[in-house]
Amino acid sequence: MKQETPGATHLELKQQGQPLPDPLIKRFAAAVGAAYCYSRPEQLRTYESDGLASFRATPGVVVLPASTEEVVACVKLAREAGLPIVARGSGTGLSGGALPIPGCVLIGLSRMRKILEVDYDNAFMRVQPGVINLDVSKHIGPQGWYYAPDPSSQSVCTIGGNVAENSGGAHCLKYGFTVNHTLGVRVVLYDGNVVDLGGAVADAPGYDLAGVVVGSEGLLGIVTEVVLRILRKPEATRTFFATFPSTTEAGNAVSAIIASGIVPAAIEMMDTLAIVAAKAATGVDWPEVGAALLMDVDGVAQECEHTSAVAVEMARKAGALEVRVPRDAAERELMWKGRKSAFAAVGRIARNYLVQDGVIPRSKIAQVLQEIAGLGQRYGLRVANVFHAGDGNLHPLVLFDGRDPEEERKAEEMSGEILRICLRHGGSITGEHGVGADKAAYMPEMFSSQDLDTMQLVRCAFDPAGTFNPGKMFPTPRLCGDKPGLYRPHPSEVSGEAWRA
Amino acid sequence: MARVTPGSIEEAQALLAEGGRRVLFVGGGTALPPGPPVDLEISSEKLDRVIEYEPADQVVMVECGMRLATLQRELAKHGQRLALDPPQPDKATLGGIVAANSFGPLRTRFGSVRDLIIGVSVVRADGTRAKGGGKVVKTVAGFDLPKLMCGSWGTLAFIATVTFRVHPLPEEAVTLCARGGDPLELVRRVRAQQLEPAAMLAISQAKGWDVYLRFEGFAAGVRAQRDKLRDLEESAWPDPAPAGARVRFGALPTHAAQVAKALAPLGARLEWLPTLGLGFASRATVDPAALQGARRELAALGGWLAADGDWGPAPGSLGLQRSVKQRLDPAGVLAPGRFLV
Repeated sequence: MKQETPGATHLELKQQGQPLPDPLIKRFAAAVGAAYCYSRPEQLRTYESDGLASFRATPGVVVLPASTEEVVACVKLAREAGLPIVARGSGTGLSGGALPIPGCVLIGLSRMRKILEVDYDNAFMRVQPGVINLDVSKHIGPQGWYYAPDPSSQSVCTIGGNVAENSGGAHCLKYGFTVNHTLGVRVVLYDGNVVDLGGAVADAPGYDLAGVVVGSEGLLGIVTEVVLRILRKPEATRTFFATFPSTTEAGNAVSAIIASGIVPAAIEMMDTLAIVAAKAATGVDWPEVGAALLMDVDGVAQECEHTSAVAVEMARKAGALEVRVPRDAAERELMWKGRKSAFAAVGRIARNYLVQDGVIPRSKIAQVLQEIAGLGQRYGLRVANVFHAGDGNLHPLVLFDGRDPEEERKAEEMSGEILRICLRHGGSITGEHGVGADKAAYMPEMFSSQDLDTMQLVRCAFDPAGTFNPGKMFPTPRLCGDKPGLYRPHPSEVSGEAWRA
Repeated sequence: MARVTPGSIEEAQALLAEGGRRVLFVGGGTALPPGPPVDLEISSEKLDRVIEYEPADQVVMVECGMRLATLQRELAKHGQRLALDPPQPDKATLGGIVAANSFGPLRTRFGSVRDLIIGVSVVRADGTRAKGGGKVVKTVAGFDLPKLMCGSWGTLAFIATVTFRVHPLPEEAVTLCARGGDPLELVRRVRAQQLEPAAMLAISQAKGWDVYLRFEGFAAGVRAQRDKLRDLEESAWPDPAPAGARVRFGALPTHAAQVAKALAPLGARLEWLPTLGLGFASRATVDPAALQGARRELAALGGWLAADGDWGPAPGSLGLQRSVKQRLDPAGVLAPGRFLV
């Protein structure tokens, strides 16, 4: 995804749809209230893009329903009019999941922000999709509970958006992603029917369709209620910050810590450029070294003391230059602020940058970072790395100057090459930002056409009309009437052990 | 009815591609629900290899017919384990465990199959081989086919290979038992004291429950937690229920007492995971009338009960469930009559 500091880039993609007829707009206005139905060009402009700001398209109408019933009414109206539907939370997504289809009905869920139920004994919470991620933990924090998934955008992103993207965050290494903390969802389907999938009572007979809806990037329906798993806060958290001569030593430290049997709550790595950027943005007093690790262990206090001591020892053995332990909660918070603001901070050291989101087996971190550095040299571009080292989820930021179209083109190409490196090492094209509009073209490099056909069958089971977010995630749109042909293996596959990439 | 034991996934694929036959996939047979006759049984017995295991990445990919106990021995050589402990690990296969969403008390800490599976490859009813997820612990590319396979009871596709996240073996473990304890009270106490048991299991007794807790991890943490529950005696982990009819049920954790009352007429040994609200009732035979009565009472509490391929009333999402089945197995040949869909 592309981030811009002010100043237009050249390859900006903007699509305009036909304006919708007035009588139709009036019907939408009647469904949600005129104050929450936008159709004037200057109103629509706000919704032209999400966090992937270089892709823009104008919706036909924006509606902000306040209830499941109003969502149903909007879905039915859109269906009657034959218009595609795109759902949107806060629009912080980095892959264009909430990018409008030109002329679509954009359903914003930001008004549905009620916390409906909190049940500590049964460890769940029922919320509307527009509730902000951080507000969930704030709501239950005073009682000593929290909600685990913590994307860096957690102070603005919504639970509904998290569900759509199966959002992760720094602490998902130990605690898992949104899908591991979503017990159930209420979904409005393409025909306006409402279904409850999963729920507070575990394992009710039936397929795990809630598990399929989480991470489906808005292609299966509109989620209007979510049952979240909540957790009792751990007794203790220990944080340390360690600096290294290069990412190689830091990568080795991560491997050694994990190999010692510790499951850290989070281990984040930053390279020199990312450190410089974080310093410029937040005023942390970090030395400008080759690499830094920020690590949390949490749990029972005595266990934390033990694991943090072991981890510090491992970091030192791997070649740490310095290990810092925060003196108090405020200092710890500042360290994490430095890390979490790193993407935006890179805007201070480069005019434009592309954020990549690839995954590799964590044992390959040092090797892959060297390969990426090699790519940077070949393309003549700087790369900042700030990422979730514990689970091998890389976020290389390719820096460029958007005023130079050739440099921008090279940056795009190089960013794609980084994904190919991840795939060559057995990884993934996205660890948490999603496929969306940004990476649909890369799906065939990770999945065979049979894999994609199978996923399309699931999509057709939910949404045979292709109403929701068409054109996202899958490289080649297919109508649900099309029968995917029976797969015939290539002779080379039959002969060897090899399987399709 | 023919039973075939393919020696490779390609052979299984070829068998399905022939089409026109009702098929049942058979693993260890520990959880296979009864149902109408089929034309072909495909056994996973010979598909029992570890395909890839990289201890440093804590990821293992296996063929579906591998027995859980065999895998655990392999992982233990590197100080690791799959944090899943369903019954009969010597028999249960990993493909079957995924298909049946099997679990044991470790689910308390580590979650169920869906929380540990990261990738899957399947053969669809028409012989098409497809995969979802990946080989890294974190990926959000594409729909989550691995989760769709969890608890699908062989009705959507043949689960050919499975990739799991694995965990380090704990350095130390201790089991405590609260005899005649109240599961809910103990859960509250554990949370108030911020303890983190790896497993909690309540077993019904003539009067009330015996509640077991197991702490696992580094010695320092295990001992500290043990010391905070000084009034509880150390104990061996309870024996698994003898094989026989196994009824599964679920309800809110706070309904433990009502659940015990509802299931009392079964005269079965009850196992209850008190943090999760899931349980098993085990007995040689179960009286159908008592079962229906118990189900009605659980349903009134918002819970459910399933026994031997009898899944109870259809959920509100049945139409959507059927639509998924219809798309993936349009001729309805996979495990017919074995699941509610």
